[in-house]
Amino acid sequence: MVLCIIAFIVFGIMSIFSAKYRPLAKEGFRCVFRTLTMKPCDTGLDQKFKTEVVYSVMRYSPAIARFVNKQFAVISWIFVLLTIASFGYSAYGVYNFYVFGNCEGPNAVSTCILNDLTGDYGRFSSPTELISPTSLDGIKAGNSSSNLTIVEFGCFVCPYTKKAEPLVKELLNTTNVNYIFKPFPLPNHNNSFIAAQAVLCAVKQDKAWEMRERVFAHQETCSVDGTLAINDIAESSGMNMTLFKGCMNNNETVEELNKYIEQGKAAHIYATPTFFINGKPLVGPKSIDEFKGLIK
Amino acid sequence: MNVKNDFPFLAKNIDLVYLDSACTSIKPKQVIEAEKSYYEDYGACAGRSSHKFGAKTSEKIENCREIVAGFVGAKSENLIWTRNTTEGLNLVANCTDFQKRKTVVTTINEHHSVLLPLLKLRDTGKIKLKVLKAENGVVSLEQWSDAIDKETALVVTHNSNNTTSIKQNVKQIAEIVHDAGALICIDGAQGVPHYAVDFGQENFDFLCFSGHKMLGSTGIGALVAKTELLKSMPQFLVGGGTVKTVSLEKVVVASDQSKFEAGIQHYAGIFGFAAACEYLKKIGMKNIEAHEKTLSTALLSELKNANATVYGDLNNRGALYSFNLGNAAPHELALMLDKEGIAVRSGFFCAQPAMESLGAKNGCARVSAYVYNSLEDVKKFGNALKKLSELYC
Repeated sequence: MVLCIIAFIVFGIMSIFSAKYRPLAKEGFRCVFRTLTMKPCDTGLDQKFKTEVVYSVMRYSPAIARFVNKQFAVISWIFVLLTIASFGYSAYGVYNFYVFGNCEGPNAVSTCILNDLTGDYGRFSSPTELISPTSLDGIKAGNSSSNLTIVEFGCFVCPYTKKAEPLVKELLNTTNVNYIFKPFPLPNHNNSFIAAQAVLCAVKQDKAWEMRERVFAHQETCSVDGTLAINDIAESSGMNMTLFKGCMNNNETVEELNKYIEQGKAAHIYATPTFFINGKPLVGPKSIDEFKGLIK
Repeated sequence: MNVKNDFPFLAKNIDLVYLDSACTSIKPKQVIEAEKSYYEDYGACAGRSSHKFGAKTSEKIENCREIVAGFVGAKSENLIWTRNTTEGLNLVANCTDFQKRKTVVTTINEHHSVLLPLLKLRDTGKIKLKVLKAENGVVSLEQWSDAIDKETALVVTHNSNNTTSIKQNVKQIAEIVHDAGALICIDGAQGVPHYAVDFGQENFDFLCFSGHKMLGSTGIGALVAKTELLKSMPQFLVGGGTVKTVSLEKVVVASDQSKFEAGIQHYAGIFGFAAACEYLKKIGMKNIEAHEKTLSTALLSELKNANATVYGDLNNRGALYSFNLGNAAPHELALMLDKEGIAVRSGFFCAQPAMESLGAKNGCARVSAYVYNSLEDVKKFGNALKKLSELYC
């Protein structure tokens, strides 16, 4: 009976795509249903599985086959629990993917991914397809005349862009680098566009880095409360709120942001943060050593 | 006996050891050709159409009737075509007159095809049913004598058992039955294919058997009955071919056995059935019986070597054994043997009360050999069983 649970789940999914698995899915369902209604399973499906498994093992080791045959119920339960755990973990991954743009959740060392599920900018890319941007405009820091140029495409509400912040700071503090940040708000993150606009507006009041730091520090609040939280952050950053609000409602700011988005699309950005170290791409909040490896 | 080359199925499945002949037998090319010949050379209705192909088909069907009837020592006018043994048994149960005597005697060892029609009649109050218990698969002549009396209308039993292959002394049972003025119907499905059965000499009233268990086609069987019974019994199924004349006021039923053969018959199957009888006759039923005796001894030896549990008394058997092996579930056992290229059946073999009475409450596996099996096949079966016994015992 135990294996019928797996059979029902696995063949049930497979039968969506191919009719040949439907009789097996039906057998699995019948077996599970009969067991749940306190009737003996009469399909023989579990015995077929057991035979397949035990016979396969027997060809290599009769002793192990004997053990598998004797402990088949226990082994089956282990597999059922692993299957259920695996499905649960997959579901959690899908949830994370939807909410955070990454299967591993907010605390993972990974990236926020653009894709069809979460809403993208039109295409799904891969690291080999990334193209270094030709324009070097953006929110700048470091030494603009340095031989080392690092361009970052990031989203202010992406947990992975935030995760990369200490690294960016370390690079700026320890390396002679021309650093350029290009805002690339991901559609699947709440209020990512407003947050990006706010930092662009802060540039105009020379408060870019203060604003950027505070937005990252209050990332969740920004994501949930949107304009309200952004205004509070702008105010506490010491910005002129009349100019700031005017800038936020200005079409020029939207156009400027769209320009960076277009640059990101042209670069085939599929995840944030994405760095280009003298043109060489690096996706995700990697370690300083990985950066240094590419810098060399 | 080496007839394997006559069997195209075995030639195509050269690694297969087919030991499920009690379920159905493999067909020789002679039977396949005979069946094919109906479609290619005859193609018409028998007993109806007057054109030359109709006449040719009619003639051939009657010739087949003579061959099949002759195979069991009967005359052609005593043979009715049925779909299988089951239909014959249903016909007898439903058409026997239970007005004067109501008791039917049978045994716990019977196939469902014997038991179910009788249980149905019992449950509708048409008969009283006595079911004789068995000791290790055997019902003694004393039990038969004690059970059969002046109230007995009919005895229905097998000549060779479906689950154990134990043969009953049906000639003596028939004597006891006739002494009490009752009728006897023999389920010959497992007996007729394996040894010579003589309807007249053994003095049966009815004998039912199937083509497919004796190298013939599926979907065809025969009921052989004494002439006076065929005349006196009412029709079972009615329809085309069962009457002389029909008006809305009056139906005149056919006077011969055709009154039981409603509708177009399975002509190709009948051709194959007759070809199978001729094939078996050519080999000789005595030779077949001797060959199976050898296989039976070898099978038992292999089963014992593997420490299998064999059900039923070991005397007076054919080449068929029901068995279990250690803690293996019957279906598992059959599936594992299938992996080894050996085809056996598992379950209750349509005889659940019989299996339970033998102690196989959850069923068992059944190995059954026939003319095309060899000692080499039995050895392969034994080797596979021995391998599995290490797993299950």
